[in-house]
Amino acid sequence: MNTPVPPPPPAPLGRPDSPTEPASVTAAGAVNASKLYGVGDTQIRALDDVTVSFEAKKFTAIMGPSGSGKSTLLHCLAGLDTLTTGATYIGDTYLASLDDKALTELRRTKIGFIFQTFNLIPTLTAEENIRLPMTLGGEAGDTAWIEQVITTVGLDDRLHHRPSELSGGQQQRVAVARALASRPQIIFADEPTGNLDSITGSEILDFMRRAVKELGQTIVMVTHDPIAASYADRVIFVGDGKVIGEMLDPTSDQVIDHLKNWD
Amino acid sequence: MSAGSTALIARRSIRARWGRTLAIAAAITAGVSFVVGSFVLADSLRATFTDLFQELNEQVDLEVRSVQEFDSDQVREPIDLTIADSVRRIEGVEAVEPALQRYAQLVDDSGDVVTTQGPSLGVSWEADDGLEGVTIKDGQPPRGPDQLAIDKATADREDLAVGDVVTYITDTGQHEGTITATLGLGSGDSFGGAALVALDLETALVNFGADGKVDSIAIKVEDGASIADVQVAVAETIPAGAEVVTGEEVAEEAADEITQFIDIFGTGLLIFAFITAFVSAFIINNVFQITIGQRLRELALLRAVGASGKQVRRMISLEALAIGIISTVLGVGGGVLVARLLIIAFDAAGAGFPSTSTVLALRTIVMAALVGVGITVLSVVIPARHASRIPPVAAMRPELGFVALRTRQLVTGTILTIAGAVMFIVGLFATPGGNIGLIVLAGGGAVMLFLGVASVSSTIARPVTRVIGWPIEKLFKVPGALARQNVARAPRRTSSSAAALMIGVSLVSGTAVFASSLRSTLVDTLENAISADYIVTDQNFQGLSPIVADTLAEVPELDAVTPIRGVAGLVDGDQKNFGAVNPIAFEKLVDPDLRAGSIADLEIDEVLVHGDPAGDLDLVVGSEIDVTYQNGVSSTLTVAGIYADATFGNWLISIDTLEAVSDAPARDFFVIAKLADGVDAADGDVAVRTAMEAFPQANVETNAEFLASQEAQINQLLIIITMLLAFAILIAILGISITLALGVFERTREIGLLRAVGMNKRQIRRSVRWEAVIVSAFGAIVGIVLGTFLGVVLSLAVPDDVISKLAFNPLIIGLILISAVVAGLFAAVYPSFKASNMDVLDAIATE
Repeated sequence: MNTPVPPPPPAPLGRPDSPTEPASVTAAGAVNASKLYGVGDTQIRALDDVTVSFEAKKFTAIMGPSGSGKSTLLHCLAGLDTLTTGATYIGDTYLASLDDKALTELRRTKIGFIFQTFNLIPTLTAEENIRLPMTLGGEAGDTAWIEQVITTVGLDDRLHHRPSELSGGQQQRVAVARALASRPQIIFADEPTGNLDSITGSEILDFMRRAVKELGQTIVMVTHDPIAASYADRVIFVGDGKVIGEMLDPTSDQVIDHLKNWD
Repeated sequence: MSAGSTALIARRSIRARWGRTLAIAAAITAGVSFVVGSFVLADSLRATFTDLFQELNEQVDLEVRSVQEFDSDQVREPIDLTIADSVRRIEGVEAVEPALQRYAQLVDDSGDVVTTQGPSLGVSWEADDGLEGVTIKDGQPPRGPDQLAIDKATADREDLAVGDVVTYITDTGQHEGTITATLGLGSGDSFGGAALVALDLETALVNFGADGKVDSIAIKVEDGASIADVQVAVAETIPAGAEVVTGEEVAEEAADEITQFIDIFGTGLLIFAFITAFVSAFIINNVFQITIGQRLRELALLRAVGASGKQVRRMISLEALAIGIISTVLGVGGGVLVARLLIIAFDAAGAGFPSTSTVLALRTIVMAALVGVGITVLSVVIPARHASRIPPVAAMRPELGFVALRTRQLVTGTILTIAGAVMFIVGLFATPGGNIGLIVLAGGGAVMLFLGVASVSSTIARPVTRVIGWPIEKLFKVPGALARQNVARAPRRTSSSAAALMIGVSLVSGTAVFASSLRSTLVDTLENAISADYIVTDQNFQGLSPIVADTLAEVPELDAVTPIRGVAGLVDGDQKNFGAVNPIAFEKLVDPDLRAGSIADLEIDEVLVHGDPAGDLDLVVGSEIDVTYQNGVSSTLTVAGIYADATFGNWLISIDTLEAVSDAPARDFFVIAKLADGVDAADGDVAVRTAMEAFPQANVETNAEFLASQEAQINQLLIIITMLLAFAILIAILGISITLALGVFERTREIGLLRAVGMNKRQIRRSVRWEAVIVSAFGAIVGIVLGTFLGVVLSLAVPDDVISKLAFNPLIIGLILISAVVAGLFAAVYPSFKASNMDVLDAIATE
């Protein structure tokens, strides 16, 4: 790790002095983050000096074309991957300062994940998958909360099924329930609806938005779908490893227009 | 961190991958069963014989016998029968029974020798004393020169009954008698597989040619008298050269003697059991390595949602542990069953064991657990470590995870290979630390060699399999080409699944080199060193009675006849084996490559010495050596010659010299003879065989026949070793099969695509089948190369009188290769069926 001691987390990008909202707390962010893959001629700069922050209790979407670096940004923010230079943080914790053990602990207790596919351990039942972060830590978790989550996502009658016995939408709902179950500080979602039809997809997105609005969750979602992005409070546009724009309270049409302007 | 979740996931993983779990469990169970079976068999036989000898000597309080100066496998000198009379007069002695055991062979009505799996024994038996635990099954004890008793097992087999008149042969020739009784040992009908002729003492003394001497004298002490006091009194009475020991000691010694054989037998089995277990370790390792590759995303996902690397590692180890424990339990049961079945099989083959108990010692269970659980857990150490290194990001980007599974094994493999080879060579040639050093160095070296070659072979897997696959591609076009490419695309996997077969093949081909070299040395000896036309051996490996050689010496068509007899003696405190021959005949029959002195002039108290010990002891012609024989007699031998060919051992004396120092019943290892000049071979043959008709136990062979029967024995060695490796080879085939099945599973989508674009089921099957053949041929080729190296080193390491000339048998190598191809075809049955029966649409939809 050749990360220099990073500066303290900057104020959220955008409108720290917004008149309509109270001064918000930063849930996660990146400072001068760069990520290089490969060496020599084949070297790819997946992230190029990105500085960005994400507000707590907000639903933020990261948008960009394939290869823009949006997924890499998410992976580095979530501590799944490491930066070449720069820093990422969750709350007031700098990820670079953590060893593998502490990082694992952080993922288990402070972060929730929803991936595009392969979200669940195929040999475990839906309920076991939902409880997995807690059981891995040897904890029972907040039973009442978990039951509430399960009911909210509508999985009561599917709890003892294996992932292979669930539809794609049901599997994603289990994934969302798992992400919520441990009440993480922040949930990272990587194209959570990329593999679903539009109706099922909108159900999931709707549920994610409710988790933010009603339960006060913080969600950062990577997507390339303008409709998915329209569920977010804020969209950050990424291209060629850089943050190249943002939009607040987007509609899908606005997002599409914005994307058109790039070309 | 919770053990609960890792255990849960491990348990689920076992359940979700039943096929894989069963295959691994089968491999471990086979290895453990073999280990347990070897121990149980040896322990049970040991217990049986210990009990048997204790039972036999139960009535015997004390025994008088001759003193033995040092331990050797030779029988004790007989003692004078008169000792019995003086012992009988001692106060406190209730009964005395002199015992004689010699050679006696029953002949059936048509004049053929009655053969058994065991020895043909003649014994003296005085029923009144009842000291030996012999029971009469039918009839009355034999009395006088015309009566005998035989064991019931032989009687039943040969359809003989009380009242029948039979012929039997002893050292003094043919005798005839009426069967008056059939005998058993306790409740059993058999005497450990021996065919027994029992005579009363007086008749035995005469008919066995015992010359007033008996082997031992059993004593029963009166009730109430102190055995120790009587022992002291007896010791004072008997002459020098005789000793009195307790019946318990005798039983222990007798049991020890058998136990030594059982130990060797058991150890031999164990070696192959451990080889089997070792081979299964390769399979387990490979299967886990592959499944971890297949579960990459799952494991990465676990890491992403908060499992630590340690938890992942523990989960994999737990899976292995659970499989290991279950297999161990199954293996213990299987082993006991195998041992029982083997004992039953031995019994059916005529070994005649008395009712054998099954001994499952604690040590056996501990070893089973060590092997079963230990090997399984050890096999997954590296796969589990790799699994723990899978980064969480691989849940979304699997390509980033494969780096963690890659191993740098060329360096480690090369170091292991070289170190193993050096250890193996040093162990066999320098043998530091005696036998233990030999086992540790040679055995450990071989294990390291196998591990090293297995890991190095992944670097050569690609080019070698491309070459093997070339003709297959030419022959089978697209399926052949697919087979060839699929083998080459995962060289580590190919080499690992071939490694198990490689071990089995290398042991077989190493033995083949050893056997071929043995044969060529034998041919060399028979062509150059021995000019005998006939070699007479004993069918039952008891040694021939001297009357055989005496009878042959009378045949006019023969020019020279000599028996080869043996005696052990201490020279400078070390035990040496002396060969005793008839010098004048020996000179005509054998060319020992004499460097100094002569054979024919070998006088009494002279010795011929091989160059090696002569060099060690600074002996030249005329040197004198002091020899102490087993019976305590010492004599000084003068070196009369030095020779270089060790076929007949390192020390040669004349029969006269031997007979001057020992009264022990003479037994000839074999007799060699040569036709007189001018005698037609066919005429000579008739003469020799006619003379030998009276000795059905004597196996007369011409030079060529002898070579052929020795070759048959050498081939038998090869067959037995191959059979003992059968388990290991089966496991290896299972390994190839499961690796292939896992590969097919991984390529589900690919196979679906191939089917979709028009490949038919048969072509799919063919490509999988030939993939298996390429893998197994690769294993066989590496195995043959490694095995040849092992065989050459081993052949060079054994003494020159055993192997002096290296030889290779291309036929066996060809046979091994063909077998490997067949093994591959066999291994492909299941995976190719699986591959061809996939539902095309499902397969394509698979992610």
